Amino acid sequence: MIRYLLRRLGYLIPTLALVALMVFFLTHLIPGDPAVVMMGPDATQEDLDSARQTLGLDQPLWRQFGLWMGSLLQGDFGVSIHTHRPVFQSIKERFPVTITLTTLSLLLSLLFSLPAGVLAAAYHNTKKDYLFMLGTILGVSVPGFWLGLMALLVFSVHLGLIPSTGFVPLWIDFWEGLRFMILPSLTLGVYMAAVVARMTRSSMLEVLRLEYVTHARAKGLGEWKVMTKHALKNAFAPTLTTIGLQYGMLLGGAVVTETVFSLPGLGKYLVTSIYMRDYPVVQGCILFIALVYVLINMVVDLLYSYFDPRIEHA
Amino acid sequence: MVLRKLRKNRLGQIGLAVIALNVLVALLAPVIATHDPLRIDVANPAAPPSAKSFFGTDEYGRDIFSRVIYGTRISLFVSLFSVLFATAVGVVLGAVAGYYGGWVDNLIMRVMDAVMSFPAILLAIAIMAFMGARLMNVVIALGCVYVPRFARIVRGSVLSVKQKEFVEASLALGNGDATIIFRHILPNCLAPLIVQATANLAYAILAESALSFLGLGTPPPAPSWGNILSEARDFMLDNVWMTVFPGLAITLAVLGFNLFGDALRDILDPRLN
Repeated sequence: MIRYLLRRLGYLIPTLALVALMVFFLTHLIPGDPAVVMMGPDATQEDLDSARQTLGLDQPLWRQFGLWMGSLLQGDFGVSIHTHRPVFQSIKERFPVTITLTTLSLLLSLLFSLPAGVLAAAYHNTKKDYLFMLGTILGVSVPGFWLGLMALLVFSVHLGLIPSTGFVPLWIDFWEGLRFMILPSLTLGVYMAAVVARMTRSSMLEVLRLEYVTHARAKGLGEWKVMTKHALKNAFAPTLTTIGLQYGMLLGGAVVTETVFSLPGLGKYLVTSIYMRDYPVVQGCILFIALVYVLINMVVDLLYSYFDPRIEHA
Repeated sequence: MVLRKLRKNRLGQIGLAVIALNVLVALLAPVIATHDPLRIDVANPAAPPSAKSFFGTDEYGRDIFSRVIYGTRISLFVSLFSVLFATAVGVVLGAVAGYYGGWVDNLIMRVMDAVMSFPAILLAIAIMAFMGARLMNVVIALGCVYVPRFARIVRGSVLSVKQKEFVEASLALGNGDATIIFRHILPNCLAPLIVQATANLAYAILAESALSFLGLGTPPPAPSWGNILSEARDFMLDNVWMTVFPGLAITLAVLGFNLFGDALRDILDPRLN
């Protein structure tokens, strides 16, 4: 197990280095002079020089990258062009909002999708199963941000049940915070719920064909016990991988959801910084979210081996 | 054979019909639209749906029905071309990686892994943030994001087919690498490629609308569905119709590709069901 862990970590380093390289080169996609683009048309020569220096644009390319990587390794994500605050500091302040949103979304979508997937497998090829499939296809077809807008219209404007915008951190007032978080996390989680439900259904169907399930039934175990205790544990491994991969969907979707609901998270920060052409902040946010995603998938890989011990450790 | 099986697949037929409807609307947009989608009518802003303008008008008095109709063009254009781009680049990279192996394979696939390390929409946002909001940039950004999915499929099938006897026979006949790759190996991964491409058409429509909604996609005043929603957002409290119809249009189009894609997958690749 430890060797597997080390190998997995060793594999992580080149991937992370490439991710950093890609984020570094993003600034080179800017058409024209980045300093001019960032500081706007009214910038003085002094502004431009100072921006070039902050960004290290006056250095040769390889040195720019070296310096950038060097600071990254020390946890220095650069400085905002507009506020001159360290980017990492701002990320640290906003990330809790985003991780709360995505985690709540994940939990809510599992709450619906796992039972739904198991039930659909149990009712395979019946009307209930078809309805389920249709529902999941709808789930992956509706744009989450539009669903968010519609939910706002219905639940806050017309029914007045939930405040339309605003935010209270869950760790300050849990129930009040939940009122602000429930619509964003539900609308963000719909896509994932649909994907995970379908994956659960198909891996359950795969497992239910196996002999040990027939054996469990033959032993006289109740259907419920067969499904949850015997089938689901084995069917869960492929579902888990889906969850890991789909977490990226949540992190990416959070950017849009936070914008719709005006939540003060990393995604909203990213979008605002894009509008202000604060590229060091944009780079920092993108790199940070990618790092989180890579780490989550590594954890999922490790968990996978718990649910499916057949996986190679050697 | 595919057609015969599709005849039995009700949902697949519905999907295909929805796609056909979208294509038709896109092609015939000037005929179907009742107004010029860009024409501003200051005398008639934020009008509710009526016989004159079926989906109402937006805050500039532009006819939302006509904008949604023309939006079909943009959505289909972006999704079709970004998927074509991703397929072309992905097929070449995957084939080269799988066929030559060694460090070439390693290099290409590590880069693909790095691209996959970003949540898809985030990478598209990143590329758009730096390249600027332009229609062609949306195509390129989404195309780049989807390349690895195609490269992986092709590489996988190249690896499994490379050892087969007919490839050796072709080599023995003195055929070059390109001939072997294009004539003997690629036809073997056509089925999973088509399935992946159809699914990606759906993703691309969703992604384009999200990018445009954030102001990072098709630049206004072009009537992309995401743009209509983005502009309607500030007015939706009093003007529900502004947001309802473009959203329904997105959902319907994506639903069509998803239904058809699922049916294709069941037909072409029974293992995956």
